[in-house]
Amino acid sequence: MNKKLFKQIKNEWKPNLWLFIELFLVSVVMWYIVDYMYVKMTVYNEPKGFDISNCYLVELGQLTDKSDLYNPKDTNPSIHINELCDRLEHNPAIEAVGLGNNSYPYNGSNSSTFFKYDTIYAEGWILNRVITPGFIKVFRYTGINGETPEQLASKFEGNNLLVTNNIFKDKIKGGAKNIVGKKVIYGGDTVNTHYLAGALVPIKYSDFIEVSLTPSILKALAPKDRWMGLELCVRVRPEYDKDFANTLLKESQKRYNIGNMYISNVKSFDDIRANHISKDWNHFKLFIWGMGFLLLNIFLGLLGTFWFRTQQRRGEIALMKSFGGTNKSVYMRLLSEGIIILLLATIPAIIVDYNLAHADITENYNGETFEIVRFSFSLISSCILIALMMIIGISIPARKAMKIDPAVALHEE
Amino acid sequence: MIKQYFIQAIGQLKQHPLISSINIMGTSLAIFLIMLVVMINNIGILSFSPESNRDRFLHGSCISIGNKDWGDDSMSSSNGPMSLKSINEIYKSLKTPECVTAYTIFPSTVVASIPGQNLVNLEMRETDAEYFKVFDYTFLDGKPYNKEEVESHIPLAVITESTARSIFGTSKGVIGKNMLINYSSCKVVGVVKNVSILAEKGFSEIWVPIGTISPTATYHDNSGIMGAFSATILAKDRDDFDDIRKEYNKRLDGYNKSLEPTGFHIIPRSRPYDQETENQVIGANLEPDVNKARKIEITIYVILLIVPAINLASMTHSRLRQRMIEVGVRRAFGSTHMQLLNQIIIENMIITLIAGIIGLILSLIFANTMASEFFQVKWNPSLTETQIDFSMLFQPKIFIYAILFCFVLNILSCGIPAWRASRSNIVNSLGGKIM
Repeated sequence: MNKKLFKQIKNEWKPNLWLFIELFLVSVVMWYIVDYMYVKMTVYNEPKGFDISNCYLVELGQLTDKSDLYNPKDTNPSIHINELCDRLEHNPAIEAVGLGNNSYPYNGSNSSTFFKYDTIYAEGWILNRVITPGFIKVFRYTGINGETPEQLASKFEGNNLLVTNNIFKDKIKGGAKNIVGKKVIYGGDTVNTHYLAGALVPIKYSDFIEVSLTPSILKALAPKDRWMGLELCVRVRPEYDKDFANTLLKESQKRYNIGNMYISNVKSFDDIRANHISKDWNHFKLFIWGMGFLLLNIFLGLLGTFWFRTQQRRGEIALMKSFGGTNKSVYMRLLSEGIIILLLATIPAIIVDYNLAHADITENYNGETFEIVRFSFSLISSCILIALMMIIGISIPARKAMKIDPAVALHEE
Repeated sequence: MIKQYFIQAIGQLKQHPLISSINIMGTSLAIFLIMLVVMINNIGILSFSPESNRDRFLHGSCISIGNKDWGDDSMSSSNGPMSLKSINEIYKSLKTPECVTAYTIFPSTVVASIPGQNLVNLEMRETDAEYFKVFDYTFLDGKPYNKEEVESHIPLAVITESTARSIFGTSKGVIGKNMLINYSSCKVVGVVKNVSILAEKGFSEIWVPIGTISPTATYHDNSGIMGAFSATILAKDRDDFDDIRKEYNKRLDGYNKSLEPTGFHIIPRSRPYDQETENQVIGANLEPDVNKARKIEITIYVILLIVPAINLASMTHSRLRQRMIEVGVRRAFGSTHMQLLNQIIIENMIITLIAGIIGLILSLIFANTMASEFFQVKWNPSLTETQIDFSMLFQPKIFIYAILFCFVLNILSCGIPAWRASRSNIVNSLGGKIM
C-alpha cells in the first residue's frame, strides 16, 4: 500500500512539484514567523518587576504673564513641588506619591551610569533612575528576598542605592543580593560613599525588551534637586480608581494649583504603556496577519489541487471502493499523499531554517539566535499548523471522493 | 479578439465554479494583503492635507551635537530638537527654498476651557506664521496668524473644528471669541478641518504663536543649541534639493565656527531628510537607513507574491490540462506558439484583474474601518485615534502599485504553465495526453 502511494506521488511529480515548492517556501516563512512570535511572547511574559495598575502621571505647567492668574512675585514656582506632593498625599484616593527623573516605567529614557563593587564592574547599559522613596511604593518594586516596597522605601535615603539583582550578570554568584550592605561605587561620584541598601527583582524597560538587557540602579533624589520638571507619579487606591484623571484635573484649580504652577494633564499608566508598546505590538499583529495569510494560501492551494486530483481519479477511487476500500481508507490515502509531500518539503526547509537561524536574521534572545529547544519548538509548531490547514484543505475534496458510487463511476469508465 | 478572450475567460469561470472561486479568492487575498502592506508602508510618504507637499519637504526635526570634552562623537552625543537660535542660523537663513517653518517637535497636552466651564485636555503645537504656508490646512473659518502677530507674541489660536465643538459647543461663529489655554486667554482667529495623527508634523488640535503662552521658546540646553523645535523646508521643486543641501552645509559650517568657543559642534547625520528618509527615522541619534528599509519592503512583497503565485500556478496547470484538446485544435489550425501563449496569459489577466479589483476594494475598506489597527505613528502619547479617509489612500501611486502587482502575479502564476501548454506536441494535445 505504502509502496503504491509513493509510486503514485512519483508518477504525478509535476503537479506535486508545485505543491512541494509551495510547502517548502511556506515552511520556511512560517518557521520564521513562529520563531519571532515565540521570542516575543517569551519576552512579553517575563515578570515585569513593577506594577502600573491604578497608577497615574501628573504633568505640570507654568503660567506666563499672558494669564490673568499669573503672580509676578512667584518667580520660581518649582519650589511648590513639595507642597503639591504633600497635598496629594492627603488626598484619600491616593495611596502613594513619588517623584522621579527619567525613571517611570515605559518612559523611554536611556539615561545611564556605571556601577562597581570592589573590582567588579557592572557591564553593559546600566539604567540610572533617580527617585524619591515614594516612587518605590507607587510602582511596587520588590526585593529579591521578598522585601515589600514599604520595607525598601524605609531603607532608601541619602547615599543608599538599590540595584536590580541582575546588575552583575554572572559575575557575582546569586546576584547583587549577596553584596547588600557593602560599599559600592556609583557613577563618577568619588566624593560620597554609597552603600547598597537592597537588591530588587529585575525591572523591565518595556514589555518587548528582555529584562536581562536593562539592569537598573535606583538612587535617592536629593531634596535640593526637587523641581517641577520631575515626573510626579501617584498610585490610587483601587476603590477610588474611577475617572480619577478627570476628577483630579477638575479639583486641581481649587486644591492643587499653587502660585504659577498648575496641573496640565493627568495620564493613566495604562495609556502610557499602550503608547510605548504600540509599535512593537503592531509589528507583532502584522506577523499574525502574515501567518493567517500563508495558512489560508495553503488551504486554498491544497483544496484546488486535490479537487482536480479526485476528479481525475474517479475511476481509480471507484475501483478501490469496489475492491473493499472503506470511506476511511480513501480519505487516509488522499491525506497521506499530502502529508508525505509536506514531510519531504520540510527536510530542505529545516536546512534553510538552520542556516537562517545562524545568519543573525532571526530575533535575538538570551544573546542567541539559535537554541535547540526554541528551534525545535518553532519547527514543530509551524509544521503542525501547516498540517492542520492541509487536513482541512484535503478533507473537502476527499469527502466528495468518498461519496463516489463505485457502480456509477465504473459504468462511466 | 480581446472580446473573444473575455468571453472565454468568463466561460471558464462558469465551468468550474469552485475552482474559479478558489482562484479568485486566492488572487484577491494576495492583492488585498499586499495592498494593505503597500498602504502601511506608504502612508508616511503619500501626500495629503495638511501635508500635501510631502514630495517637496526637507525635514530637520532634530539636531545632533558633540563636544570636544565628551570624547568621540560615535560614543557621546546629544540629539534632540533645536532652539530657535539654531533654527534661525541654519534653516531660516536659507535663500533657495520657498519657505521654512519652525514649530514644536511634538504637540503638548494643555488644559483648555472657557471661563466657568470644565477643563478639557487638548493637544497644542506652537508655530511660526510660515507654518501655515508649508502645511496646507483647510480653513473652515478665519485665517492663520501672521508674522507680525507672532513676533509681538499676541495670544491667538487656530483650532480644529472638534476643538471648537468641545470648547464652544459649536464650530461656527467662534472667530474672535476667547478661550483659556493653560489658563491664558487666547483669541480664536481660525478654525480648520480636523487633522489625522498620520500627518505627524501637521497634527495638533490647537496652534498658537511660538512663545506666547508657554515658556517653550526659552528652553535652552547645551549653550543654547538644543531646544524644543523642529524645522521643515518647503522647496520650490524637488530638483532644488541638492542646491538647498549645499546652501545648508554652508550655513552649518558658519554655525560650527561660531560655536567653537563653546566646545560644541554639530554632527551633520546627512540632515535635512526628505519625507521618505524622515519616515525611517528611529531615533535622533541614528542616521536612517532607507536602503535597508527598501530591501525589507521588497522581501515582504516577494514572499506575499510568490506563495500565492505558486498556488495559482498549480491550479492554472490543472486547468490547462483539461483544455489540452482545445489547445491541440487551435495549433492544428495554424495558431502560433505566441498566439496561444498570449491568449492564455490575457485570459488569466482578466481573471487576475477582476480579483485584483476585489482585493483592492477590500484593502481600502479594511484600511478605513480598522485604521488604528494598521496605521500607527511612532509617537502618540495622547493616544489619539488614527483617522483615515478615502482621499488619503485614493491616490495614483496606490493604483499603479495595484496594477503592477496584478500583472506580476499573473505572469508568475500562469507564465510557466502557459508556456508549456503552448509548446506541447499537437498530436499529444489532440489525443488529450497530458503535458
